[in-house]
Amino acid sequence: MLDPYKIREDFPILKRKINNHPLIYLDNAATTQKPKQVIEAIKEFYEEHNANVHRAVHTLSQEASELYENAHEEVAKFINADGMEEIIFVRGTTEAINLVAYAWGLRNLKREDEVLVTLMEHHSNIVPWELLSKINGFQVKYVEVNDDGTLNYESFENAISHKTKIVCLLHVSNVTGVITNVKNVAKTAHEYGALVLVDGAQSVPHLPVDVKDLDIDFLAFSGHKMLGPTGIGALYGKREILEEIEPFHGGGEMIRNVTFNTITRRCSISLNDLPWKFEAGTPNICGGVGLTAAIKYLKDIGMDNVKAHEENLTEYTMHRMQELEKVKIYGPKDASIKCGIIPFGVDDLSSHDVALSFDSYGIMIRSGFHCAQPLHEKFKLKSSARASFYIYNTRKEIDWFVEVLKEIEHF
Amino acid sequence: MSRSPLPYNPKILELFRNPKNLGKMEDATVSAVAGNPLCGDMIIFYLKINDNDVIEKASFESYGCAANIATSSIVTEMIKGMKLEDAWKISWKSVVEAVGGLPSVKFHCGILAVGALKRAVRTYYKNKGVSPDWLPKEPTFEEKQALEEEELAKILSKRMKAEEEK
Repeated sequence: MLDPYKIREDFPILKRKINNHPLIYLDNAATTQKPKQVIEAIKEFYEEHNANVHRAVHTLSQEASELYENAHEEVAKFINADGMEEIIFVRGTTEAINLVAYAWGLRNLKREDEVLVTLMEHHSNIVPWELLSKINGFQVKYVEVNDDGTLNYESFENAISHKTKIVCLLHVSNVTGVITNVKNVAKTAHEYGALVLVDGAQSVPHLPVDVKDLDIDFLAFSGHKMLGPTGIGALYGKREILEEIEPFHGGGEMIRNVTFNTITRRCSISLNDLPWKFEAGTPNICGGVGLTAAIKYLKDIGMDNVKAHEENLTEYTMHRMQELEKVKIYGPKDASIKCGIIPFGVDDLSSHDVALSFDSYGIMIRSGFHCAQPLHEKFKLKSSARASFYIYNTRKEIDWFVEVLKEIEHF
Repeated sequence: MSRSPLPYNPKILELFRNPKNLGKMEDATVSAVAGNPLCGDMIIFYLKINDNDVIEKASFESYGCAANIATSSIVTEMIKGMKLEDAWKISWKSVVEAVGGLPSVKFHCGILAVGALKRAVRTYYKNKGVSPDWLPKEPTFEEKQALEEEELAKILSKRMKAEEEK
């Protein structure tokens, strides 16, 4: 087990007081706080190694390039990919999904094809496909969600066919915390010849993820939800698939040569190797450095321990919340099939008032639709409040959270 | 922790617990929906208007937070007996003042209430086929901030449609 009290010492922001109360940060599904190891790594990069990558022969550029390439290697190892060729750095999960949609989907999806998406997806895994279908004319089909927020696997089996070219699903719901059985879905999808794109934004930070074991084709995730800085994330893709795909953005870094033909008066382009083929322009070098430090921090703790800590805290919190008369927990009550996310409502109160009340006690939670309106429509909710945990949250914090919630329900 | 955990002043809390003019008006002359799809708050304003363009009574329904309910409630009280031209001049800032102030993250609730009122007034004249001089041709700031039912429904139903089409 990890020791959250020891971990907290690494997080400077957790010493803050808000509205005269010690900060309790329970909005980790939105973004996590950063340990001093990550902050230091970023500082050190700018103070010691800053230069552009892959451009110059000078020492600083060599150092920066090495750090940036190493970041790809570390990410690859973290999710058990086959080396940095399979890791493309992007701004975050949203850009990763858009990369697949536009670099792969735009050229490969035909009118008669179908894209399967589940009704529990974050907007970032719905909107790109809906937008693209307006260009290419394919069908976006939605897989049902059960009343408790788990994926309806029967609906998936019914929806998939030989027309399905890609299945897009999340690994962990950002609304309910439910873990989906990505491995089984991938197995079935591959039997129909479809690719599988997994939104790992809420899974990679919270549980061990092994792309080989899951046998998925693409995995998208964000650095800032796993202790890293904002503006850096990764797309994993199977090497043989990435090699076949044309670039997303054009520019420097992604090409090896541009030669001007004086007869045709056109430029001919030869593409760079993986993963640089997909990383046009000066990349987020420092973001890569920060992400490397974040991954090291998580590896030192151990992802199994991260998962166990969150499960334990979630179980305890849900148990404590059930003491409260006017509080309703949405989604499954079994912590073992969830990550540390608890959506809830308080009778007669808007979720925004619940969040605003918590704020006056120094507790940060989320309210609203959490970028997944279809799931809220399914639960017939206007909006919900959401508490989400990470490695630095403690039982002591939960006790105070429940105390305040007791006050709020008797407003 | 003896005071209310809701970070609102006593006047808002009182209006939230005991709102005035809450409920659908069966004999309304006009009604208007105003919603903010981002926070999910939505209100419906009902006005009973007489032949002299005076608001005889007003009521509202709300699917929103305490600030939303309090500001809507106070607007329905403020405009009772007012000529439409005068009701139009009510600013969202004066509504915020009337409820004794709002946390800044809740200003949009006051804007939504005024937006709903303005939408109702505009719809009334549109139905009547007249356009008084004082009524701006272009939608005002508050109206733009308060999506009408169609726009709101368009956004919310898009995905429901996708679900039904299967």
